[in-house]
Amino acid sequence: MRKIYYFLAMLTGTMALTGCMDNTEEPNTDDFVITSPTSIGETNTTIYQVKKEFSSYMTNNNTDVKVERDLIFEGVVVANDDGGNLYQTLILRDINPKATGDAHDQCIQVGIRNSWLSPYFKRGQRVKINLNGLWVGNYSKVPKIGQPYYTSAGNRRLGPMLFDMCATNIELVGAPNPDAPELTPIDCTQGEGLSWLKDSKNQNPMNAPRLVTVKGKIAEVQGSKVKYADTGELSGEKEPLPKVFAPEALYDAGYAVDRTLLVSGASSLSMTIRTSTQNDISFLPIPDDERSYTGVMTYYSGWQMQLRHKDDIYPAIK
Amino acid sequence: MSKGVILMAAAFALTFSQVQAQTEAVVDSLSQDNADFTFTESQLDEDNDAAQTVSNVQGNDPYLSEVGYAFSAMRFRVRALDNQYNQTYINGLQIFDTESGRFNYSSVGGLNDATRNKEGIGFGQVANYGISDVGGAQSINMRASQIAAGSKLSVSACNRNYVGRVMFTHATGYNKNGWAFAGSAGYRGAPMGWGNVPGTFYNSFSYFLAAQKRLNSQNELSLVTYGAPTERAQQGASTEEVYALANSHYYNPNWGYQGGKKRSARVVNSFDPTAIFTWDWKSLDGTKKVTTNAGFHYSMYASSALGWSGDAYDPRPDYYKNLPSSIFDVYDPTKNNAQYLEENPHILDQWNYLYSYWTSDEAHRQINWDRMYYVNRQNGGEALYYMENRHNDQMTTALSSTFNHSVDTHNKYALGVQLNTTKGMHYKTMNDLLGAQYYTDIDKFASNDYGASSPEAQNDLLHPNRRIQVGDTFGYNYNIFVHKARVWGQYEHNNGPWYAAVSGHLDGTIMEREGLMQNGRYVDYSYGKSGAAKFLSGGAKVTVAWSPNPNHRIQLTNTRDSRAPEARNSFVAPRVQNNYVNNLKVEQIMSTELSYKFVFGKFSGKVGGYHAYFKNGVEQTAFYNDQQSTFTYLTMSGVDRRHYGVEAAFNLQVTSSLSFHLLGTYGEAKYISNPYAQLNPEGSEAKEIAKLNTYQVTHTQADNSELVVKDDLCVVADGMRVGGTPLTAVTLGVKYNVSGWFFQLNANYYDRVYLAFSPYQRLNKTYATAGKVHFPVNGNQYDVTKAEVEREGGILYDNNGRIVASYAKEQEKFKGGFMLDASIGKYIRMRHGKSLSINLSLQNITNNTKMKTGGYEQNRDDFYYTESGGQYTKGEGKAYSFSHNPKYYYAFPFNFFLNIGFKF
Repeated sequence: MRKIYYFLAMLTGTMALTGCMDNTEEPNTDDFVITSPTSIGETNTTIYQVKKEFSSYMTNNNTDVKVERDLIFEGVVVANDDGGNLYQTLILRDINPKATGDAHDQCIQVGIRNSWLSPYFKRGQRVKINLNGLWVGNYSKVPKIGQPYYTSAGNRRLGPMLFDMCATNIELVGAPNPDAPELTPIDCTQGEGLSWLKDSKNQNPMNAPRLVTVKGKIAEVQGSKVKYADTGELSGEKEPLPKVFAPEALYDAGYAVDRTLLVSGASSLSMTIRTSTQNDISFLPIPDDERSYTGVMTYYSGWQMQLRHKDDIYPAIK
Repeated sequence: MSKGVILMAAAFALTFSQVQAQTEAVVDSLSQDNADFTFTESQLDEDNDAAQTVSNVQGNDPYLSEVGYAFSAMRFRVRALDNQYNQTYINGLQIFDTESGRFNYSSVGGLNDATRNKEGIGFGQVANYGISDVGGAQSINMRASQIAAGSKLSVSACNRNYVGRVMFTHATGYNKNGWAFAGSAGYRGAPMGWGNVPGTFYNSFSYFLAAQKRLNSQNELSLVTYGAPTERAQQGASTEEVYALANSHYYNPNWGYQGGKKRSARVVNSFDPTAIFTWDWKSLDGTKKVTTNAGFHYSMYASSALGWSGDAYDPRPDYYKNLPSSIFDVYDPTKNNAQYLEENPHILDQWNYLYSYWTSDEAHRQINWDRMYYVNRQNGGEALYYMENRHNDQMTTALSSTFNHSVDTHNKYALGVQLNTTKGMHYKTMNDLLGAQYYTDIDKFASNDYGASSPEAQNDLLHPNRRIQVGDTFGYNYNIFVHKARVWGQYEHNNGPWYAAVSGHLDGTIMEREGLMQNGRYVDYSYGKSGAAKFLSGGAKVTVAWSPNPNHRIQLTNTRDSRAPEARNSFVAPRVQNNYVNNLKVEQIMSTELSYKFVFGKFSGKVGGYHAYFKNGVEQTAFYNDQQSTFTYLTMSGVDRRHYGVEAAFNLQVTSSLSFHLLGTYGEAKYISNPYAQLNPEGSEAKEIAKLNTYQVTHTQADNSELVVKDDLCVVADGMRVGGTPLTAVTLGVKYNVSGWFFQLNANYYDRVYLAFSPYQRLNKTYATAGKVHFPVNGNQYDVTKAEVEREGGILYDNNGRIVASYAKEQEKFKGGFMLDASIGKYIRMRHGKSLSINLSLQNITNNTKMKTGGYEQNRDDFYYTESGGQYTKGEGKAYSFSHNPKYYYAFPFNFFLNIGFKF
């Protein structure tokens, strides 16, 4: 009997030992950053000055240069990847935006090698970037900061910087401000903004990227085109009807689909709405009526826009 | 350490005294205390879906009784056979995972004393409990009366998967009322980071309770129940580059720091409570016996893993885009040279940056839990990262009855019936939302392809966009029912030097899937029953032996067998749809074994050869396919393999205290066909899947006419070896005992371990896209050399579109190497029948950390694909070369096991 007691004691003891080991407390992430936790230095330049200093690398297609001194500027995140349409990309805008058309009101693209940047760089977040060790130049005539790489086609391009370099070259300044004035897009739907848009003198890469709002109709759903399904050059498949912004069937080498926006108030002006496949905007049905579109405008051989988020279409598509 | 008792006992039986045999029994006892049962560490740490080590406990085979343990460090599998070809019986009842065909060793983990009574048979032998498969069988007798009466306490320390073990066993033997009771309880554990592999822990309790009642001289009833609830963290395989960056072959990518504390992402929780009721009947003269069993087994198995959705960055630290080699193709000599790097300083800059990042801080190369929490907390309540539990539960009821009749001294026969019905329950639940409030149950891959609001994105149309909380089932949920029945019989006859046995069995198998979710991509064939698939199989075995005297025996066994495909390989994409694999047939097995067993004075041993031919097998792998950007199943059917080789075991008993032994094998285990293949991405609907499963090659001939070749999808596997086990293994050992001390030293040599090959890399379709399909360019000349196609793989066609030759891409063979093991033990008899045993075993004494035990190729290509008009062609090479970066496992470094056992 005594041995049975021994056994039961052993049983109880061993069961007590078998507590769950996989217990961890939720971490406090209040102070979590992937950027530098300490100051990266005092601001000594602006986005405008950077673009000006490296203008030849900004305008000669797909050129870049490494910065090897401390060049530190501040900007506000006005576009990120929260809608899935921009990839590994932030758009920073100079702080304290000026009047429409002011040359100092500049934006620049920052490439970071990570597929989901928006949690770290929310819209309205002011950041400081030290260009030392990074490269400046352009990707398809879009002024950019990053690091070069070779594309799948074997071409050298200015791509995103290594994600871990955020810890040495980027500093967050304060908390994100969703009401930051920099988040107000340049209104190109009428008046001064529309005139600026139409003026051919402004149509150059140095004026890109820009956060703008334009108004118009999408050409692909006007008249008889609405029922005509295009065939993808690469996929060999017809796009589904009714048309959406970026059906997989029409993807191009950049995994995106171009639609043409007929800009209201400028009969001869059109703008390409470029949407990558596989995000929330891609599957939105294209409205045939006039809407306003807000997004990141760039210039290659014409104006082009990438919407940030499906909310950038107004009135919203149901 | 080698247990050795059975081998030695075979030699000693004719030569040495009873005292010596008792001594060996002590050695055996000491050895088994050190072994985690006879199942190896690797067995206990296997995933459910891994090929488990076959470790037969052979009663009288000097080779098979040794190899399972002697070669366990290298995850040796006898004859390179998967565990599904080996059967394990408990008290005469075969209770196993009918979906995979495997016995779950972890269900008896830590029950060394309760499972000590076992009987094993090789392929060529017969048993009174059933017919063995090609890998043999073993029976464990856990009846209460079979546990040695008394108490035993064992305490162990080691540095393996766990670091400490304590076991207590007590058995009463029969009391005057005919009752016998036995029980055993144990604990094995290692806190996080204490085991041999960083970032792992081990936490296992085991129990065994048995009662037996002798009703009368003819009838006995027995009830046993056992289980081993276990929680353990797993190691993950990594590439050679990652091991180099971590400066360790035991780097484990599965863990990281959370709030400063270590946490593993891959934790297995398993518990297999089992109960077996047995009724033994024997005739008064003892010539007839009936054993009838009823067993119930409920297996709970959950394996955790990280999940992520949307565009969230892959959280695995060794994700290839995090590695220095993702910057440029370091295996391309046109790029990895001084001139190129000088001309492209940005490449070297980035490579150096990542190298420094990886090597500067351990936390940089582990999971960043805090980052996942941070991201989730920034995402408005929806989880981008989460930890899921993948459940594979089973409920099994098994019945069996066996009748044995010894007709006379020359003839006996046995008849039996076995029934097994299993319900496998497969689903996943939310383990941890990592700081988020909920997760929406949609398929992230389908969401990308069809849109997040599309019906195709829904994992369960019956509950669309369901918000998942911790504990909720999501993703997939299905049952697999498997019902098996077997009737068998065998007859044995011996007459003088001759022995013959014939046996046969007839099996019926019914399987069916029941979907509990209606998947958005497979609306009509995901929810509800799949319809039953039925298979009839069977086999016959003939054994003939000749023993001119007790010292020599020659035996020949031949079998023709068939078995139903395993349910887990029978559905094209079991997590999401009901469809069966095409070309599903019973596997045919033809096997032959010839052996010679001998005793020449002090020299004894056995040599033998075997050959097994497997035809029409089915194998399935699943992987993330970056071409389709979705989780994909690849099923091969019509798999033919040939396993053959020689095995030998020799023992030289120099004195009663000193002996030498040598045993080893040289075998082959080859695929000999190019099986039919099916690709089934989970995130794609039927039309896309159909397109994916077509093979078409268009060749422009000299006269500019186009030759179109169409064929079934197949894997060019002919010539590939079974991976993950040494095909050459030899051990040379010495045993010495004096005055209650026991010493043993084993030198082991292993070679011809192959990397498990990737079927995807060898698909004819992959070949076609990668430009590995060749047509004559000038008469009968090809634009590729034989050496190139043998290395890179390829298919050669003639001008009429007929296949001239197919070459499987070369398979990596690991370097061979040595390991040295030793053990020392002391047995102390004490007063009043008490005893103390102490044993220390040392494995891999020379700390050989370069021995690869296995690994696998990544199912990805080295090239981008460009599409034009719906046709894919090979594009530029990727910066990261997947073909140069298989993932490997290494044998444990030096490790020890100290055990102290006290019997009282």
